[in-house]
Amino acid sequence: MSKRPLAPWLLILPSFALALFIVSYPFFNIVWQSVHEVSRFGQVRDFSGVANFATIFADPVFMTTLWRTLVWTVCVVGGTVLVAVPASLILVQDFYGRGLARTITMLPWSISLTMTAIIWRWAFNDEFGLINLGLQQLGIINQPLHWLADPALAFPLEIMIGILVSVPFTVTIFLGGLSSVPTDIYEAARMEGANAWQQFRKLTLPLLRPFINIAIVLNVIYVFNSFPIIWVMTQGGPDNGTHILVTYLYELAFRLGRPGEAAAVSLVMLLMLLAFTGLYMRMQRGEHAE
Amino acid sequence: MTRTHTKILLSLGTALLGMSTAHAETVRIAVAHYSDQTLPYFEKMAKEFSKANPGITIKVEEVNWDSLQQKLQTDIVGGTNPDLSIVATRWLLDLVKDDVVEPLDARMTPSFKDKFIGAFINSGKVASKTYGLPISASARGLYYNKAMLEKAGYSNGPKTWDEVIAASKKIKATGAYGFGIQGKEIETEIYWFYSLWTNGGEVVDANGKAVFDSAAGIKAANIYKSLIDQGLTQPGVTSNSREDVQNLFKQGRLGMVITAPFLAKQIQKEKPGLQYGVTAIPQGSNAATFATTDSLILFKNSKVKTAAWQFSEFLFSKAARVAFTSGEGFLPTTKEEAADPAFNDAVTQSFISYLPTAKFAPVIAGWEDLSKIVANAMQAVYLGKSKPEDALKAAALQANKMLKK
Repeated sequence: MSKRPLAPWLLILPSFALALFIVSYPFFNIVWQSVHEVSRFGQVRDFSGVANFATIFADPVFMTTLWRTLVWTVCVVGGTVLVAVPASLILVQDFYGRGLARTITMLPWSISLTMTAIIWRWAFNDEFGLINLGLQQLGIINQPLHWLADPALAFPLEIMIGILVSVPFTVTIFLGGLSSVPTDIYEAARMEGANAWQQFRKLTLPLLRPFINIAIVLNVIYVFNSFPIIWVMTQGGPDNGTHILVTYLYELAFRLGRPGEAAAVSLVMLLMLLAFTGLYMRMQRGEHAE
Repeated sequence: MTRTHTKILLSLGTALLGMSTAHAETVRIAVAHYSDQTLPYFEKMAKEFSKANPGITIKVEEVNWDSLQQKLQTDIVGGTNPDLSIVATRWLLDLVKDDVVEPLDARMTPSFKDKFIGAFINSGKVASKTYGLPISASARGLYYNKAMLEKAGYSNGPKTWDEVIAASKKIKATGAYGFGIQGKEIETEIYWFYSLWTNGGEVVDANGKAVFDSAAGIKAANIYKSLIDQGLTQPGVTSNSREDVQNLFKQGRLGMVITAPFLAKQIQKEKPGLQYGVTAIPQGSNAATFATTDSLILFKNSKVKTAAWQFSEFLFSKAARVAFTSGEGFLPTTKEEAADPAFNDAVTQSFISYLPTAKFAPVIAGWEDLSKIVANAMQAVYLGKSKPEDALKAAALQANKMLKK
C-alpha cells in the first residue's frame, strides 16, 4: 500500500498548529522588536533596521560579556560533568546509607535557583556571612574576605555555585545511564585482569558516553541562559565584571529601558545556541559514521 | 418551570441589571512596595474611599520596586495596565513620549494645585504640563552615631568633608568604621553625587551634557578614594549595597552614613536604643542634597478616569497624606501636611530644612544610562582599577555618546 493515510496528520494538525504558534509568536515578536526602536515601556516606534545590532556590537561591554558567557558556560558545564561522573560512580555502588547519600545529592535540585542564590549571597556577606565566620573561627583567615567586591573573586564563586546546582540533574542522568550497564561485562573484564582504571576507561566511559553527551547539550542550554545566580549575587557588577549575556539583556530591557537592543541580544544568543547545537549534532554524526 | 420560578428568575435578572447600571466602577491602582505598611495603607484608603463613594471599587496591586517598570512595560504592551500607578518621576519622560499618560492640569482645581509644595509639583511636569502628582518625596542627610562622633570631637556631626576625614580617623582608632560608602546596586552613583554636588560640581549642565568629569568631580572622587585607601570606610566597599551600609550603622559599627529619612523609621523599629543625630550632607564648597519624588500618574487609556481622579484627590487629602508620609518615613509634599504636628520631630524637620539646596535627578532621556555608567566608573575607582580622573573622563565621554551630546 503506497497511499499514506491522511487521518493521523489531520488529527495532529490542531496541536501542531498550536505548538507552532506558541513557539513562533514570541520569536517573531523578538525579531520585530529587534529591528525597531522600542521605548522603555514597550511601544514599538520607528523601523530602525540593523541599528540595534550595530549598537550592541559597538558596545565593549557586550563583547566582553560575550566572552565571559562562553567562559561561564564551559566552566560550569565542564565542572559539572567532572564532578558528576565520580559522584554517580560512587552513588551507583551498593553501600550502607546509599539512599540517604542520593537524597542529599538531589536536594539542591528541589530548591528554586533564586532561593539558592539568595542563600549564597548571604553566606558570602562580608560582615555576617557564614563563610567568613566559619573561616575565621577555623583560623584560616584573620580578616573577613570581600567575596563579592571584586569580579576576579565573585565570578569564580558564581561558577562554583553554578556547578553545585547543575550537579543533581546531571547525576540523575548518569545514574540512569549506569543502571542500564550490564554487570556481567565487568565480571568478564575482571577475569581478563583489567584493573579499576581500565574498567572505567574501556567499559564505563564508552557506555556512559551517550548520557554524557545529552547531559552536556542540556546543561549548555540551561547554563548559557541561567539568570538567577549572577543577578541575585552581583547583578552583573561591580563595573560590569560579572555580566553574562542573559543578565546583560535583562539590564538593557528592564533597567536601562532599551527593549529593542535587548531583543537583538536575545537573537544573538539564540543564534549562538543554534550554532552550538548544529555543530554538536554534526560531531555526533561524524562519530557514528566511524 | 412553574410560574413562581419564572418570577423569581425575572426579579433576579432585573436586580442584576439594576446593579450593573448603578455606576459600578472599578479603579485599579499599582503601588510600589515601600515597606510592609504600604499595602495595608492603600487597602485602608481604598475601603474608606469606597465607603464615601459607593459604586466605586478600588483594586490595589502592590509591586516590588525592582519589578515595577517590568510590570508596567508588560501591562502597557498588553493593554492591561491599571488606571493609576505610582512611578519613578524620571520615567515620566518616556511615558509622555509613548503617549500613555494623561495630562492632569485640566482636572486640577486651583485649590488642589495650591496644595503642593512648589518644588515637588514641578518635578512631575514635562513640557510645562503636569503628568505626575508627587506621592512620595525624600531627601538625604548625614546620619551619625552620637557616641562615636562625640568621642571624635564632633558632637553635632561633621559639617565638612575635612571634618568627616578627621572624625573617621579617630573612629577608626576605636575599631569601628568611620564613613560608610555604598558601592553596589541601586543608588551607587547617587552616593558619589553627594560629594560631587557639595564640591560645586554638576552631573549635567543646562544643555543636558554630562559634565561630572569637572575638577569638582575629580576632587569628589578623590575624597572617597582617599577615605577608602586610608581604611576609613567599611571594608569591601563594592560589595556593600545601600542596605548593607545602613545595617552597619544600625548595628553601631559605622560612624556616619548618608541616606534618606526612612532610616530613622527603621532605627525606631529595629534598634530604638541607638543614639544618632542627623545633619546636612558634609560640605566641600557648598551645601547640597539629593531630593527625589515618586509620582502618581493616570493612564490615558483608563475607562474610569473620573473615578480614578476622585481617588487621587482623596489620596492627597490631608489625613490620607499624613498617614502615608509619616507611616513610610517620607517628606511632606503638600503644605497642610507639612504643618501637621506629626512632622514636628527633629529628624523630619532637619530633612525639610535641607530642601532649599536640593538637586533633583534631571528629567532627561538617557538618565538611567548615565547613572549606570557613573556607577560602573565609581566601582572601578573604588576597586582601584582606574584613577579617578581617567575613569571620570571615560565615563563622561561614554555618557555624552548616550545623551547624544
